[in-house]
Amino acid sequence: MSADRVFMMGNYEASFPGDRLYAKNHMWAMATGEQRYRFGLSAYAVRLLQDVYFLDLTIQPGMQVSSKHEIGSIESKKAESSLYTPMAGVVTDVNDALINDPTAINLDKYGAGWMFELQADGTQLLTPEAYIEHLVAAWEVAQRTIKGQVNA
Amino acid sequence: MHKARLTVVVSQGQSRSPDKRQLETDIAERSAQIPGVQVLVVPHLYDLARDGETYQQLRGIDGDLVVCAWLFDRATHWVLDRHGVRGQVGQVHLSELSDADDEEDAEVAAAAAETAERVVDSQPRPARHIYCLDLRVRTQADEFIGEITRIAECAAAQGWLAGDASLAAVTGFSMPTNTTYVGRTTAAVPEAVSVEPTLLGTLGVTTIAEHPTRRWYPVIDFSRCTNCMECIDFCLFGVYGIDNVETILVEQPDNCRKGCPACSRVCPQNAIIFPQHKTPAIAGAPMDTGGFKIDLSKLFGAPDEGADAIEVAARERDEQLLLAGRQAVGIPTELSARLAKQAEQPRDDLDKLIDQLDSLEL
Repeated sequence: MSADRVFMMGNYEASFPGDRLYAKNHMWAMATGEQRYRFGLSAYAVRLLQDVYFLDLTIQPGMQVSSKHEIGSIESKKAESSLYTPMAGVVTDVNDALINDPTAINLDKYGAGWMFELQADGTQLLTPEAYIEHLVAAWEVAQRTIKGQVNA
Repeated sequence: MHKARLTVVVSQGQSRSPDKRQLETDIAERSAQIPGVQVLVVPHLYDLARDGETYQQLRGIDGDLVVCAWLFDRATHWVLDRHGVRGQVGQVHLSELSDADDEEDAEVAAAAAETAERVVDSQPRPARHIYCLDLRVRTQADEFIGEITRIAECAAAQGWLAGDASLAAVTGFSMPTNTTYVGRTTAAVPEAVSVEPTLLGTLGVTTIAEHPTRRWYPVIDFSRCTNCMECIDFCLFGVYGIDNVETILVEQPDNCRKGCPACSRVCPQNAIIFPQHKTPAIAGAPMDTGGFKIDLSKLFGAPDEGADAIEVAARERDEQLLLAGRQAVGIPTELSARLAKQAEQPRDDLDKLIDQLDSLEL
């Protein structure tokens, strides 16, 4: 297993396992078969959310989804957001246990905290290194967004 | 145990937020200390099955209900109605926006409502009242408890006048303990109750444990629905049906496509509620009287977003048809024809609006 990569969010060390790929919407993607990936939230996303209190996914296995298709919502101590697909594909599995108890997103984000699986073409997924490059720019935007909303 | 004058139902939210859970617990425990009140704590009402323990219990209660839920008041009322827990809408003095326009809005709405018969006109609900409180409008229990206390007093007074005062109700009236003062503080509660706990007849908190999975389905506000059947024509997933007196009903709620609110958009009266939709107007927001009013914002310069509700609804339905492996249908010709017919008569609606404005004596 390759070593974790780390990105500093202020004083917080967000780490990203080297055994998987990443999507620009801050989901990790672990290959579980031929053109089949399991998705969950990256340490970056979980750090922004903090404690997750509520998760809803409106997808079911067999559904064909486009890229950036709205698939549910998440609520945490600090924020709430809609969730979108990282890429087009066919839903092959949804973690129903996580919908009933989303605390695994905080406790085991790279394991039991997985959200759904897609049959999809993963060529546009990022390596951990490329994802961290993406984060450098994303983190700037995120800080501005958070400050803008807090000050509003 | 004394007969409960009033039942307070606390419907737990889907969120595990400690603050929200605390609010639920505070309301349940403090309501149970109000004379003549029994408290039921139940899972999220929207997710529960009709035949489950919770709805069976609720259907067995004839008296007034106060129902606290993480939903808009209207949504809660009609979710209950759908599951056979029926009554009149109890007026709640606890709203998010208590601006002076509310009464005017109600008058305009009432004036417009006279033009069409609603389902509740021909199928009246039982006389008892159901008071729905939206738990999202306050973060602390105090004002909820104040409102529940006010409602409990009304219920007790009505019961007493009807000549069936229970010991608890009589005690509450003959020996006022000041627990019913709306503005009282938390600290006063245990003290007041500890004076004569047996006489006050604390009925306690009953928790019903069910473990429902998430559901998604429409509920119909029958105080708005005119039984026009637009929804049953539009939905292609077999959600709607008609009952034995030819009234529209949500016959197969779980046939509904998760996340899809399309039928709500085609309803001419805005009578269809998806309680969990993120658009307040679709989720049953109280301020929404859109079904009765004409939106003039385009006349006053609002940008044309290029899609009206029908187009959005048709697109959402097509998405769901494709997801279900079926063929997209677009905007069906009958609906377009009906809409074109409506579009031919804009003056009628405008005339009505002007009449309403005149009648307000502005």
